[in-house]
Parts: sequence; structure tokens; C-alpha cells
Amino acid sequence: MFLKIVKNDFYRKKITTVTVFVFITMAVLLGASATNIVANLIQSMSELQERAVPADITVMHAGEYDQAEIDQFAEKYRDHIVMQETMDLQNIDGSNIHFGQNQTMAGTIQDISFVVQNKKFDFILDLDNEKLEVKEGKVAVPIYFMEQYDLKIGETITVKSGGYEKEFVISDYARDFEMNSSLTSSKRFVINQNDYDEMLEMQAGELEYLIEFKLNENGDSQAVQAAYIKAGLPANGPIVGGTIFLLFNAMSDATVVMVIILISILLIIIASLCIRLTFLATIDEDLREIGVMKAIGISKKDIKNVYLNKYRVMSVAAGIIGYLLSFVLVNLFNGNMRLYISSELSGNLKYLLSFIAPLFVYFMIVMYSKKILKRIDKISAVEALRSDIMEHGKNRKYSFPLLKNKFFSINIYMGLRDVWKRFKLYRLLFFIFAVCTFIVILPLNMYNTVNSAGFSTYMGIGKSDMRIDLRRTDSITEDNKKLQEELKNDSDIEKYAAYITSSYQVKNADGSWDYINIEIGDFSVFPLKYLEGRAPEGEGEISLSFANAAKHGLNKKVGDEVTVRVGGEEQILSVTGIYQDITNGGKTAKAHTSLGVNEEAVLWYIVSMDLAPGVNIREKMDYYQNAYDSAQVNDIKEYTGQTLGNIINQMSLIVIGGIAIAVIIAVLITALFLKMLLSKDMPRIAIMRSMGLTSKNIKHQYMAGTLLVLILGIIFGVLATNYLGEFLVSIAMSTMGAAKIELVNIAWQTWLLCPLALIVVVGYTISVCCKVTEDDDLSVTFRS
Amino acid sequence: MTNIIEALSVNKKVKLGKDNELHILKNINLEIEEGEFVSVMGPSGSGKSTLLYNVSGMDRITSGSVKFKGREIGGLKEEELAKIRLKNMGFIFQDINLLKNLSLIDNVMFPALVSKDADKKAVHQKAKKLLEMTGIEMLADHNITQASGGQLQRVGICRALINNPDIIFGDEPTGALDSKSTKEIMSILAEINKKGTTVMIVTHDVKVAAKTERVLYMVDGNIVAQKKMRKYNGHPDDIKEKEESIMKWLAENGF
Ligand SMILES: Nc1ncnc2c1ncn2[C@@H]1O[C@H](COP(=O)(O)OP(=O)(O)OP(=O)(O)O)[C@@H](O)[C@H]1O
Ligand SMILES: [Mg+2]
Repeated sequence: MFLKIVKNDFYRKKITTVTVFVFITMAVLLGASATNIVANLIQSMSELQERAVPADITVMHAGEYDQAEIDQFAEKYRDHIVMQETMDLQNIDGSNIHFGQNQTMAGTIQDISFVVQNKKFDFILDLDNEKLEVKEGKVAVPIYFMEQYDLKIGETITVKSGGYEKEFVISDYARDFEMNSSLTSSKRFVINQNDYDEMLEMQAGELEYLIEFKLNENGDSQAVQAAYIKAGLPANGPIVGGTIFLLFNAMSDATVVMVIILISILLIIIASLCIRLTFLATIDEDLREIGVMKAIGISKKDIKNVYLNKYRVMSVAAGIIGYLLSFVLVNLFNGNMRLYISSELSGNLKYLLSFIAPLFVYFMIVMYSKKILKRIDKISAVEALRSDIMEHGKNRKYSFPLLKNKFFSINIYMGLRDVWKRFKLYRLLFFIFAVCTFIVILPLNMYNTVNSAGFSTYMGIGKSDMRIDLRRTDSITEDNKKLQEELKNDSDIEKYAAYITSSYQVKNADGSWDYINIEIGDFSVFPLKYLEGRAPEGEGEISLSFANAAKHGLNKKVGDEVTVRVGGEEQILSVTGIYQDITNGGKTAKAHTSLGVNEEAVLWYIVSMDLAPGVNIREKMDYYQNAYDSAQVNDIKEYTGQTLGNIINQMSLIVIGGIAIAVIIAVLITALFLKMLLSKDMPRIAIMRSMGLTSKNIKHQYMAGTLLVLILGIIFGVLATNYLGEFLVSIAMSTMGAAKIELVNIAWQTWLLCPLALIVVVGYTISVCCKVTEDDDLSVTFRS
Repeated sequence: MTNIIEALSVNKKVKLGKDNELHILKNINLEIEEGEFVSVMGPSGSGKSTLLYNVSGMDRITSGSVKFKGREIGGLKEEELAKIRLKNMGFIFQDINLLKNLSLIDNVMFPALVSKDADKKAVHQKAKKLLEMTGIEMLADHNITQASGGQLQRVGICRALINNPDIIFGDEPTGALDSKSTKEIMSILAEINKKGTTVMIVTHDVKVAAKTERVLYMVDGNIVAQKKMRKYNGHPDDIKEKEESIMKWLAENGF
């Protein structure tokens, strides 16, 4: 019997029902896909971790060291440390690696090193997650580069450095737990021991070491790191804990999951609103029936059940379909994961976990429907039989009298004032348009922000045209001197400033010593936007990155003091400002030049510069790239672009997806809304036609009204993006070390292109859907 | 005298389901002269409203011909018909059918403002005059929830008159009113008719019919009888007499 009522209702409101159904299905589909991805991520990450056995502590060091001391240390901390292994890296500059037709990897911002597979742990794997065994003359190339330069297995790369030249055949992808992500700034190429030795002999690259520790289950990473530093063991590079790699690996997929879940929630909201709209539009029709049912003594609960069952049946059907389809859809999002984490996503967890989505959606929909149906309680039998009760408004002051209208034709005016008079009805549409604008413009602004030169602000560097990075080499100091000299005399360079980053010891909040990278130089040349305070300008001043200043970091505020050890001497610096930085794990600092360079632990030199007007940046970049072999020359846009490569790519996908979803939702809801509004307004329309208005006149009224709502919705949506959107993005980005993102909005896109596109698409929908039937007998409406 | 409406063998059928048809008007022939005051009576379901809506072009006839001021309107386009309704016809209903969200005077003015070249000032003056004539000028700026049924029907009449129509159609315009309001509304209609506007109304009320000059009697889709009378001269005795004669006439025709 219930099934029959549901069936009847379906035939009566076919389009509405189908739309609501589609929305619920899509919500389940996306929700299930997202949970599916999470399940895959959890399972494949743990598998990858199991196979790769990543180090829990990785110390980077360049220059001399004594393995015996390290062995002693490992022995002493046997309670914590299970294994120790030191990996030798030969750093080769990207410009020395040739591939394809005369291409090199010079453009990359990644540090490239050649290594031999470890013996004990931190293994680099192939795509089947098996330990790589590379034969002589072969090389396994990191996935990042395989993708970046579109390399294939069987192709060759040639390393040319000084007198050394050797061609390697690519035999495998290298899946590297520690250095997979584009957010880690080094990449390891794996070669055979014999090739490695030859390379070493020929001094092809700069030597660097990864001193790695594997801890036991109860090992205290923090304690070991502190002890290591205290023991004065070699560590002039950063010390990295194991969890950061986990985070980096999961980051890009986790971002996708978050976006999908957001969209899914949005769809649930829209489905609920559709249900509400359906109910509002049909309550007048059904009022009489409800009243009669009540009058003949059918209980409220039973009446509600008649309505509720429709949505129950719909949710169950949508749930099943969405759940099943999600296993197809998820493959669209899995590409990245298949490549970087696990080629075989065969875990069973996903079947269980993604079942949460349909259950969640079912309960949300049924609960919301129940809430709406509470209105039935309020309809007494008598009232229901007296129609029109829903319409009786309070005696408000009469606004928008017809004679006040000076600008519009009467029909346009009638449409506009109708929005004001019945805003309750139009409010849903307004909300939808605002949301659609939001989901187009927010990703677009984010994309523009990440893609803009100004984004360097969030990477802890002032805005400049070009930058030259000098990495640690034996000749770094001389190179730097030479470069400064040359820049001083180059009239094409408007201004420049050099910054030296070296590693210092810093006193933690708990009194222990930790390492911190501090950049020194003149920060007034390329000013950085500070969250709080200002840049260090004089002696004894330091500024901290947001993550360093945060509670879980050094826990400092502007005005606090920081104790830093320079060359065995303790210096107390006062914090002058806090800035945002998402590079180097978010933990950086800047100090005035007077702090002095920590000579043994220089990490890198950076020179930022602005070019004189009219100078070709490409040519300038090429010149310095050729003049300084070991340097990396980037324009800032390229630099941010590469560091955030994956994120930018995914962002552009999200922008396109956002636009598609927004358009589909806007079109569907508009069509649905108009259909319901017009059927609800049939009496009103008939009255106007009897007065002599043509259906075209009436159509213009409804078009004007909906277009007004559209424009209001868009304006509201743009404003919401600017304020709420920025807030949301900031929350998400603060985990990465940027606390306050100011979205870049390119005015013509935000204010013109997107709104116009929406107006055109929705406007067309409105003009098509705003059909006032012409040929029916007018009296039919008056009779009912 | 010229005929404002000429209906010739008009049939109206409506589809009820797939192969079920209802024949509502059966070969109706009807002429209404300019300036005439006509009422239609008959049992419920006999097709009175249908007749009104079909000769006024609101509904589409199934076959036959309807001429309005000599012009065939049976096959006119929607837009043309709307134009005729706007300029030449006025409608009043039992349910009054005013627009919500418009004040009473705005309801009256609306049909006049639809024309592109409407002179707002003149329209306003005209509306005020009409409200004055029907005695509700003090309610001009009120909401439709703030007036009684009789007052609202006067607004309905004002709205029907705003464009100076040639004819006013009324489907039981007094059907929902008490006898006092009914009397007042009928005097207004008689007044309008006296000034030259043709009026055609459907009614169940003999008192209402007595104020018209011709009564049509419909049964089962046919006009079975007609009664022509002298125009109402405003005298109470005259009405009494007419009422009685109509009653008698109806009884003769099996009412
Ligand atoms: N569009 C329609 N569809 C189906 N039946 C209709 C339609 N229009 C009218 N009818 C039927 O045609 C018959 C005549 O209707 P009409 O409204 O003209 O009668 P009436 O004489 O005005 O009755 P009343 O005095 O009750 O108003 C009725 O039986 C009615 O149910
Ligand atoms: Mg009727």
C-alpha cells in the first residue's frame, strides 16, 4: 500500500522526484568515493611503509664525519635504536643530467642525488613495492621525474659532469617513501654499486650523507634527536622525523578527499532543500487531503509516514546505486595513489568504510524530511480545509507601489517586487546561486593565488622577479663572492639581495637544544608581508615562521626572546615578527646579518633580484644558469609553480570540476524551481491572463524575478568567497605553515567572467523553463 | 442595433481520459446586442460558466463560430485574444481573484499600466474616480486582507472597468456575497450598463436576474428558453414584479 502511494507520488511529480533522487545518488557516490580513497590510502600507505621500512630519524650532513662515533651512539641508545645505516648520496646538478633530445633537468628545483640501495632499511621500491635491484648500466628514476619529464622505461639518461660521462638505461620507476612528494625537495636516483663507485672515483657529484636511524616500537624520536645533537654528532643539515614523510605522501590525496567530501555535503544540503521546496510547493495541493485524512481520524504519524516513505525508498535506492557506482568512479581519483603509493589497491577495508556514506546520507535525508514534516502537526483539520492559511501575511507596510516605478516596464517591475514580497520562496534559489558562485570562484581564486607571483609571501620570500639558489658545493663561498661581484656590475639588475641560510642550535621551550635554519641578510630590499610585527632590521633581532613561532614549535610571540648558539657562543635575540612559510616543513627563521654565518653548517645561498624594466627575464636566467653551473636560476613564479606542482595541477582539476558542478546544480535547480513556482502560481497567472496579459508578459515577470535573484546570489557568493572563503582556506593552510592566506582575485574573472558565465547559462535555462502555457482553457484554473 | 457577440452553433467538448469526452455546450446560438444586460440561469452543471468563458474567448471553442464586434475570435492567436481582453473586456468572478501583494488601488490600476504608453497620472485619476464611484475610495491603499468580500468585489469591478471595456463578463459575481452587498453590486452594474457597457452575468439568484433585461435559461448544455424584459428603472415595485415573473417562467421551464 505504501509502495503504491510512493509510486503514485512519483508519477505526479516526476521531474522533482528524479532531481532529488539524482542529487542523493551523487552525494552517496561522492561520499562513498571519498571514504573509498581514505580506505585505500590507509591500507596502501601501511603496506608501503611495511615494505620501504622508512627511517624514523634522518640526519642530513655534508662533509666529513666519523662512522665509528655514530656506531657508538647507536650502541649507547640501543634501547631506542634498532638499526642504523648511513646512505651516501652523490648530488648531481639537474643541468648535468641529459635525456631525450638535448634536454636536461636543469629547470628543476629538486636536489638530485644518485644512491645505491640501502642494506637494512629505508628501501627504495619499484612499482610493485619490491626492493629495487638495479643492474649495471641501469638506473631507477624517481616517479616525480618520470612524470615531470615524461620518461619511459627503456629510455636513457646521460650524466655528464666534469670528466665523467655515462649513459644509463631507465629500468624502473623509483618509489621512494621518504622523498616521493614534490614537497620534499630532494629526489634519489638508484644505481648499481659498481656504477656508483665509478661515479665516486670520477668525482662526478658532491657528497652528502643521510645518517638514518630506525627506532623500535617504543623508541622516543624526540629524545634520540636531542641526544644526537647534544653528543655533537655530524648534522649540518636538517634533522627530519619520520612522520613528516607520511604526511607529505598522503597530502595530495587527502586534499582530494577533503574536496570531494565537501562537495558531497553540499549535495546533501541541496537535496534537502529540494525536498523542502517540493514540500512547500505541494503542501497547498495536499493541504486538503491532509486535512481530510486528519478529519477521518488517520493519525499524524501515519500521514507523515506516507510522505516519509517516499524519501526512505528514494534514499535506499540512491544509496545502493551510489555505493556501487563509487567503485567505478574512484578509479578516476586513484591515478596519483597508484603511481606514488601502491599499484594494487586491493584492500578490503574500502568495501566496509565506504558503506558509511550511504548510511550517513540516508539518515540525513530522513531526519531532514522528518523535520519538514513537523509542519503537518500544525495543520488542524479545520484549518486545512480553509485554504490559504499559509499565505496570510502580517499587515506589513505596503512597499513598492506600482506608481513608484520609474525605470522598468510594469512586467519587469512586477517580477522584481515579487522577489521582495515572497523572499521566503525565492530564498532557496538565492542560496543555491550563492553556493554555485562560491564553488566556482573559491577554487579559481585559490588557483590564482597559488599561481601568482605574490604567493611567494607564503613561502617566506619577498616578491622579486628572479632568484638564484646556490646549493652546498665545495666552491659555494667563492661562487657566492663571484656572483655578488657580477650582480653589482650588471646594469640589467635593478636591485638584489643575498641571503645565507645556515643551521644553528636553538633553545627549545623546555630548555633542550634543537636545530633551526636561520636565513640572514638584508630583508628590507624585498620586503615580506608579516603576519605580526616586522622584519629583523638591527642587531639581536630575529623573525620566526608561523610554524616555528607556534605552540608546538618554539612557542614565541613578538617581543619574546630566543636563545641561539652561534659558533659555541650563546646569543639572545628578540623576536620582531612572525611570517608565513610553507617551505621546509614550515619551520624557518630570519635574522639580521650581524648574527653571523654558521660557517660549518651553511645550507644554501639565495640571491633575489629585480630586473631593470625591459630586460628579458629568460635571457637573464639563461646567462646566470650558464655562468654558474651549480646554481639554480628560477623566476619566482616558476619556483612556486614547481614546489606546488601537484597541488596546482589538482587545483586546476578542482576549478574545472567546481565549474561543472556549479553549472549542473544551477541549471537543474533553476529548472526545478521555476517548474514548481509556475505550478504553484497557476491561479495568479490565470488571473493576470484574464486581465489581458499575454503569456509573454507573464514570462517576463518571472524571468525578471529569477534573474534578480541570480544577480543577488552571485553578488552574495562573491562576497562570501572573499570573506568566508579566505577564512576556510586559511584554516586548511595553517597546517602547512601559512596562517592567513589572502586570496588573489583577478577582478575581471571574479566580477565579470564567472558571473557572466553563470548569468548566461542560468539565464538561458530561465528563458527555456519559464513556460507559461498558452493554449489551455483559462477557466480550468478558476474552477479548481 | 449591432451585436457585440454573435455565437453560431458553438460546441464545447472536453476530454476526460483517453476516449471519454464530455459534451458541455451543444450547438449554442446566441446574440448579445451592444448595451444589453444579460443574465444566464440554470441548474448546476448545465454549462453556464462554460458558455460565458467560451463566448468571451477565455476558453477555446471546439467547433462553431464566435464573433466579437463582428470579428471572428474562435481561431485567434493567444496574443490577439489577450489584447482584446485587455482593451475591450472586463471580467469579474465569484472568487474576485485579486492579486495578492498588491494594494487595492494597484489591483485596479494594474491592467491599465500594462499598455506601454500608459499615462500614469491619468490612470491614477481614473482609478480613484472608479473607487469613489463604488464608494471605497478610503480603502485605496489597503491590503486585500483588510477589506470585506463586498468591498473586494467592488475593487474587482473597478479593475474590470479601468480600460473602458465594451463588455463585462461576470461568473456569479454575487455568489459569495450577502444580500446587502449583492444589492449594492447589482446597482453598480446597472449603473455601468446604463452608461453603455454591455454586461453578461451568470447567476443563481432570481433577484439578480430581475435587474437584467434578458434572462437565458440553460439546461444540459442548451439554451432552452429566453425571457426579455424591460430595463430596470430603479423602482422597488418594478423589481418585485419582475422577480415573480421570472420565478413563474422558470417553473414553466421545469426548474
Ligand atoms: N475542463 C473541464 N473538464 C471536465 N469537465 C468539465 C470541464 N469544464 C466543465 N466541465 C463540466 O461541464 C459541466 C458544466 O460545467 P459549468 O461549470 O459550465 O457548469 P455551471 O452551469 O457553471 O455550474 P455551476 O452552477 O455549478 O457553476 C459540469 O458538469 C462540469 O463538471
Ligand atoms: Mg459555474
